[in-house]
Amino acid sequence: MTEKLLEIDNLSVDYETARGDLKALRNITFDVNKREIVGIVGESGCGKSTLISAILRLIAPNTRFRNGEVRFKGEDLLTASERKIRDLRGDDISIVFQDPMQTHNPVISIGQQMVDIQHRSKASKAEKLATAAKMLGAVGIPDPEARLRQFPHEFSGGMRQRIAIAMALMSEPDLLIADEPTTALDATLEVQIIERLKDLQNDFGCAILFISHHLGVIAELCDRVVVMYAGAVVESGTVREIFHHPKHPYTRRLIECDPGHIKERARVLPTIPGEVPDLANLPTGCIFRDRCDQAFERCAEVPPLTRLSEGQNAACWLNHMEEPA
Amino acid sequence: MLLFTLKRFALAALILVVAVTIMFLMIRAVPGDPVSIMLGPRATPELKARLIAEMALDQSIPKQLMLYFGGLLRGDLGVDVFSGREVTTIVFEQLPHTLKLIFSAITWSAILGIALGCYAAAHPNTWIDRAAATISVSFIAAPAFVVALLSLLVFAVHLQWFPAIGVGEGFWGTAWHLVLPSLAIGLSWVGYIARLVRASMLEVMGESHIRTARAFGLSERRIIGAYALRIAILPVVTVIGVGMGFLLSSAVFTEIVFARPGLGKLVIDSITTRNYPIVMGAVLVSTGLFVISTALADLINALLDPRARTNT
Amino acid sequence: MTDAVAHTPKSKSELAIIITGVARDPLGLIGLVIVGAIVFSAVFAAWIVPYDPIAMNIPDRMQGPSGAHWLGTDQLGRDTFSRVIMGGQVALKVALPAIFGAMAIGLTLGMIAGYGPKWLDNFLMLLFDTIRSFPTVMFALAVVALIGPSLQTVVFVVMATSIPTYGRVARTQTLTLRNSEFILAERAMGASITRILGVHMLPNIIGVLAVLAAMDIPTVIALEAGLSFLGLGVKPPTPSWGALLKDGYALIRQTPWLVVGGGLPIVIATLGFTFLGESLRDVVDPKLRKNR
Repeated sequence: MTEKLLEIDNLSVDYETARGDLKALRNITFDVNKREIVGIVGESGCGKSTLISAILRLIAPNTRFRNGEVRFKGEDLLTASERKIRDLRGDDISIVFQDPMQTHNPVISIGQQMVDIQHRSKASKAEKLATAAKMLGAVGIPDPEARLRQFPHEFSGGMRQRIAIAMALMSEPDLLIADEPTTALDATLEVQIIERLKDLQNDFGCAILFISHHLGVIAELCDRVVVMYAGAVVESGTVREIFHHPKHPYTRRLIECDPGHIKERARVLPTIPGEVPDLANLPTGCIFRDRCDQAFERCAEVPPLTRLSEGQNAACWLNHMEEPA
Repeated sequence: MLLFTLKRFALAALILVVAVTIMFLMIRAVPGDPVSIMLGPRATPELKARLIAEMALDQSIPKQLMLYFGGLLRGDLGVDVFSGREVTTIVFEQLPHTLKLIFSAITWSAILGIALGCYAAAHPNTWIDRAAATISVSFIAAPAFVVALLSLLVFAVHLQWFPAIGVGEGFWGTAWHLVLPSLAIGLSWVGYIARLVRASMLEVMGESHIRTARAFGLSERRIIGAYALRIAILPVVTVIGVGMGFLLSSAVFTEIVFARPGLGKLVIDSITTRNYPIVMGAVLVSTGLFVISTALADLINALLDPRARTNT
Repeated sequence: MTDAVAHTPKSKSELAIIITGVARDPLGLIGLVIVGAIVFSAVFAAWIVPYDPIAMNIPDRMQGPSGAHWLGTDQLGRDTFSRVIMGGQVALKVALPAIFGAMAIGLTLGMIAGYGPKWLDNFLMLLFDTIRSFPTVMFALAVVALIGPSLQTVVFVVMATSIPTYGRVARTQTLTLRNSEFILAERAMGASITRILGVHMLPNIIGVLAVLAAMDIPTVIALEAGLSFLGLGVKPPTPSWGALLKDGYALIRQTPWLVVGGGLPIVIATLGFTFLGESLRDVVDPKLRKNR
């Protein structure tokens, strides 16, 4: 029996700007179960960052929650107190951010920072440092006790990201959110980090919400996938179903255009024509309509995210062809 | 860190050497007989002869310079031929008064400035913030000695709340006499430091690592106090170190306005009585003070910011 | 110091854009008005003054402000208001040549340091750093002690102490530009040093220096006033705001209006130039802004 850990239910979030409301997230719905690895895939501007910041309320001042709930272990985080959210941060829910070069305080030693994040623990400083050293060892940092005294700029990008993962897992969270953790690293490093992450997840048993635009990594790491486009979920399901039988044109095009997927040599890499729509001036109907090669009249109406099978949901009228119009 | 310290002090020493050389050559650059220029009409032939002997003015310039440097290393700034006393003694008698003034000024203005800057950064773009910004600029602009005079006029002469002259006796007397003078000097600094801290804090608070700290549930107080301020304070340290020069300059005027003893008064009096060796001694000591304070600021900076240790 | 390259106005309309930009900022507008008033009164001082600023009038000495004398008279019966107006002219007479001189010399030396051989650069930088290590007023006093007080002395001292600032900035700009693409392209095409320095680098550097100079004027005015206050600046009977302060201070209980008359113009002038300078900086190069 899978237990739901995180339930995003019909979440809609706007940013208030001088140009009008930016509809960053519209009716986002998906779940993350315990011990599960869920990937979120999408281009820049699809709303991934807004989603993460919404979960832990690390939001910009002009963010407006219009609709929906974010339930963590049954409790809605959007209406929870500031105190409650702060208790969750770094304890039940941890984040690894995208840019390892800027993610640590430059003037405080790594050891001290790792002690600071254990601020809820009653252990002594020496004990906290020992825990920190153990975690550094677990992520593959050699000679951890000595490295604790060093400063971020003395580590390479790859090592800094490992440290970030170590910090995130130190409290043994129920949910680890990884925001494009390998985007800033080169391919070989990426492979190492992903392998390490898989091992750690096995050991610690946390759920992972893994955001990336790298399809290969998603396929490698995740159990389920959520595909987002311009603030909406267009498809979600198991990795197997999504990659082998995509039910949304956008997903299909993403897979086709992924450099890792291309079988024949070509001079020109395939792309999806057109541009991401302006979130302040949304088109009517399906969000992907203008760039879709299979659009038809019904697409003038926004398709709902429909459950197509046990492992798959998609928001596309193409899947409703048998129904009477 | 040790290497950095050594390098930094070596640079400071080099600058002092060049500074002494410049001061020395300046005397020679003026047309006329150096002795008459330095001592003026008061000097009798015996006193002139004494000075020539003391500074070896009858020998070649390089020899004079060597002699002077030799004296400096022994802490000897020469002799005041009029009083017969050593310049070093005269100057160091007055130095503590100036130092007291400078430190009291910088202490209150730094504390207040940092506090105001933090507050403004925590409440950006409110009307308080904007008002404070305008007032800061105004304080920065008004020259210290004018503020000194105006405050003397208003608070000492007119309202008679504070004494107009002198240093006072005992701890409380001294403190009371310090109020107006250190206010005059510190006023422009409050504005300057507040603005610097505000800008620095805003910049730091926008950086990614602050977001990380929040993501781990650290309290806002700890984030601002330990994480952000630690970085934001760095430019302030540098500014205070460099500001020692302005502080010394402002102190000169303030001592005159409030009739306080100190380096400033010493220099002015020596100019009026045409006693250049004392002027030179006092100027070199204050320059030395300035050079040391900038070096110290750099060292503290390197201490607080490990990234700075790699650059010299 | 910044390594941002400022944009120099190359046409009249650009100048107009800058001025409108400054005028839109409330503090900038105030600065513009104040500076305008000061410059106007300085230029037309001889025509504006109600009395001859140096004419003595013993029977009327030490009078408080009145209808005849808006700011009273000093210990020699001279009209304070007239002396204030003329003092503005003196202030600018010192400030402008000193700053332009410092800018010109600093610019030249800075460009040489930035473009020339390393040993020259090191030597010049050591010189600059040393001059900057002297507390300004102390250095000024040392010079005055040697060559005696006068307007020329003040100009010289102010110039000498300002050169390192402009020199450093010019050097940094030159170093930055030296490796920029368009300069490398010019060198590849065989352009001479004078052409590179004079035609290509100069316009970019001058913009930054001009803003720096605008912000430096208050400091220079204050220095002149300060020296005159100490009796070591312009020689009497030349009216200077600092000299007014000196006279007022000597008889502070009898003639306090002299202190106000000398002090207030200094404060207003420094405020005005500072507001203007800051506004100018914000308009000309937003990269130099500090999070307003």
